[in-house]
Amino acid sequence: MELLLQTLLNGLLMSGIYALVATGLALSLGVVGIVNFAHGEFLMMGAFLSYLLFAFRGVDPLLSLGLAFLAAFLVGGLAYQGLIRPVLKAPELNQMLLTFGLAILLQNLALLLFGADTRVVAPPYQATTLSLGPFFLGAVPLGAFLLSLAILLLLQVFLTRSRLGLAMRAVAQNRLAPGLLGIEAERVYLLAFGLAAALAGVAGVMLSVMLYASPTVGFTFTLKSFAIVALAGLGNLKGVVPASFVLALAEALVSTYLPGGGGLVEAVFFLVLFLALVGRAWREA
Amino acid sequence: MRKVLGFLALVTGLAFAQTSLKVGVILPLSGASAVSGKAALNGIQLAADEVNTAGKVRLELVVVDDGTDAAKAVPAFTKLMTVDKVDIVIGGLASGVTFALSGPVKQYGPLFLAIGAASSVVEQAFEGYPLLFHYHPWDYHNVAAALQFFQYLNREHGARKVAILYEDGPFGSAGIGVYKQQLEKLGYQVQAEPFKAGSGQFTAILTRFRAFAPDILYWIGYDVDALPIATQARQVGLRPKLIYGAPPSWPIGFEKNPLSNDIAGMTAWLPTVANPESRRFVDAYRKKYGEVTEEYMAPMGYTIVKSLALAAEKAGSADKNRIAEALASLKMNTPFGPLSFKPSDTGRTKYQGFGPEIWFQFQYLQGSRRPVFPKEVATRPLRYPGEYYLR
Amino acid sequence: MKGFGHPTLILLFLLFFALLPYLPLGIWRAFLLDVGFFVLLFTALALSWDLVARTGQLSLAHGAFFGLGAYGAGLLAPQVGTLPALCLGALAAGAGALVLGWVTLRLHGLYFAMASLAFSEVLRTLALKLPFTGGPIGLPVLPPFGGNWPLAAYYLGFSVLLLATALSLWAERSPFRLAQAATRQSEAVARVLGVQVVRVKLWSLFLGSVVAGLAGGVYGMKTLFLSPYDAFSLARAVEALVIPIFGGLYTTLGPLLGGVALVSLEQALRLWIQEGYLVVYGAILILVILFLPRGLVGVLGRHRG
Repeated sequence: MELLLQTLLNGLLMSGIYALVATGLALSLGVVGIVNFAHGEFLMMGAFLSYLLFAFRGVDPLLSLGLAFLAAFLVGGLAYQGLIRPVLKAPELNQMLLTFGLAILLQNLALLLFGADTRVVAPPYQATTLSLGPFFLGAVPLGAFLLSLAILLLLQVFLTRSRLGLAMRAVAQNRLAPGLLGIEAERVYLLAFGLAAALAGVAGVMLSVMLYASPTVGFTFTLKSFAIVALAGLGNLKGVVPASFVLALAEALVSTYLPGGGGLVEAVFFLVLFLALVGRAWREA
Repeated sequence: MRKVLGFLALVTGLAFAQTSLKVGVILPLSGASAVSGKAALNGIQLAADEVNTAGKVRLELVVVDDGTDAAKAVPAFTKLMTVDKVDIVIGGLASGVTFALSGPVKQYGPLFLAIGAASSVVEQAFEGYPLLFHYHPWDYHNVAAALQFFQYLNREHGARKVAILYEDGPFGSAGIGVYKQQLEKLGYQVQAEPFKAGSGQFTAILTRFRAFAPDILYWIGYDVDALPIATQARQVGLRPKLIYGAPPSWPIGFEKNPLSNDIAGMTAWLPTVANPESRRFVDAYRKKYGEVTEEYMAPMGYTIVKSLALAAEKAGSADKNRIAEALASLKMNTPFGPLSFKPSDTGRTKYQGFGPEIWFQFQYLQGSRRPVFPKEVATRPLRYPGEYYLR
Repeated sequence: MKGFGHPTLILLFLLFFALLPYLPLGIWRAFLLDVGFFVLLFTALALSWDLVARTGQLSLAHGAFFGLGAYGAGLLAPQVGTLPALCLGALAAGAGALVLGWVTLRLHGLYFAMASLAFSEVLRTLALKLPFTGGPIGLPVLPPFGGNWPLAAYYLGFSVLLLATALSLWAERSPFRLAQAATRQSEAVARVLGVQVVRVKLWSLFLGSVVAGLAGGVYGMKTLFLSPYDAFSLARAVEALVIPIFGGLYTTLGPLLGGVALVSLEQALRLWIQEGYLVVYGAILILVILFLPRGLVGVLGRHRG
């Protein structure tokens, strides 16, 4: 029983970061309508920013969080203006090729500039552990989880209370009539894409502390985010959090209970996704 | 007039006394093994510069990238053989790629100096090929060296239980069966679990290991796993007496991270070893590249080029067979220790260079890595149990 | 069709590759043949993807079909010989496709793509874990026809491309094209028009997967070694869709042009730029799609819708 609860706890903590990155993707997919293969690269940028600031200026990653948010937002906005906006009216597959090219470019630029080595940061609280009775909680995963939740709550407030936020939701729910919004549409798209990048950037900083920074760290998260968004359903921003939880939980349960489960985690992740997608489709019929 | 002719003859004679070699270099400069590949290339280029300056042998390098991918390696190799027409190739870093190259190598027949490719599958593929010089130890050598360390821990420090975390790709899974078997023979209780490399999620497995209460936590994976394992072991309350890892390289910045204290690993070389050849290499490397490398592939590449140059000088010719002959009887000192070629333990490789003797175990302590085993190379004693057990 | 019609170009392409081993290439011959081989295979794979995409199914499972064919052929070749093994491997891929296709009939767009990706990843893990596949260490594969004919792999690859081109042209020129296009644009409308949507989708997926499986089988016989990471690679599945978009979607000439251009470009960039060549590659992808929204075929003239 204790093991089960600890496992659920582990899954819960991981789901925070997943939800953060996936929400970003859901924004760019649902609002701007673009399949962004380069989403994970914003995460990678955040992770590298955290490492560089730590290694060369001794800045604690906690401070880098805000910087990463802003920096990623900026880069995302620029990418939108320069690259995404021209292809908004193009066929979906063209957009995919563009973002794919962007992903390759960014990843290899990082490789060129920094080399393929993995880099780690060393803030003093990295391995701090809290114990709740018989259960162990890493301080950093807990912090990442709480922070993700906070950010997502703020996002929720923004989406339900502010005018731009409501406009975003309108666009996400009904992509056929963005023209009705007039000039607003441009601002909405830019904001959404920038936000998406910013969310990924913040997640990147968290990951730099929990895992590492490297040019290839973004790709796995791009993949998982797509899976989570597909599970939640396109345009369903609220569904991202429960979907992240389901997947993170599946990962945790498999790792703990299946013998040799460590190697099967990804397969189970995708099996769950497959069954959910297929099951939902057949049910809707 | 005769004096002029005589002088000309002398100068031409001297020019011919210098052996000129065109050497192909095929390494992973992109893809999964790029870190090792680039380090190897640095070492190779450094050695080539030194050789060319010394003047007795002239080396011309033709470098191609194999992308850690058979689909890229095969055409690149073909280009070296047919377009650049090299007779001598330095390559074979990643095992899978080298396996794919075994066919083309046997077809074109160059003198092949293998810098890596530890997998025995490669040894089988190249069996009987007369012009292979395999510098790097085979995987069974690596396992033997690690087992020596485990034996020492068992006998001198009373370690009885070992938990193995291995990545489920070819690197981690290759030796796991042998490890389990041999460790049990040594008297250990063994529990082994696979994980997906790069996933960074070890909490579940480490929690399971906690119940097992191992003395040694041994992980076989890549640099990306080092920090998560160290962090998460602490987070789940797993307290082994020794955390021991065997990745091909370690993350940058890890030594500055206090979590790395007392973590042990195995390597063939560190910039701090006392070997005079190594010190010379480190100084030259720093002068040329402005920094010190921790990757052992750099001195390995350096050693290969130096040995090749020596052999070419001895043979006095650029003919690959004469050079091979000279190389076969070569003895030289390297940053790893003495190098000479003899048949491998399995007999499949005619010219095996280094064996398990170049491996040694080190421990992180306050920002630097120090050799701790075997006793002959240790610069300080092993701290067992490590800090992660005591606090 | 005006002037240099598309079929003429296609024929020229095929002729060029058929005769490549006999052209006066000098010292570059062996290298170009090696590059040419991979061009043939990956272009065939791209064509097989396009064939499926015409029905609106965006497959990320072509990596899996490639892998099924590769492992199937590799495992069976010692028992039944080169050609039967290739066919059986391709059939294995086809069987996988039918299962995937049938189960995902109701999924569209991104959902179908994700489901096909999930399918591919699960298969890769199976290849990694099942005992007879050689596991993570990999599977050595015998060369075709016992290694007696040095150009065997090249011409096998050429045959696969030929088959892929033939199938693609047939789909373009027969009534099947309308059925595929209708299905792609709106399944509901297509049904009303009398198109047997289920059959069109499954048939397209089956044909595409068989070609992909053949390509996989031939790939294994050239590299003489298979590993689950390589054979079921996601990168290859993505390349299979990048090429048709780059070259021109829903046509035969598009993937042909795109395949030759991209695969050769990548090899050339790697040899001449070395470090950082992929940055240039990514930039080229971006620039082409920004300025040539119809892909490379857009340069050649009117695009038949």
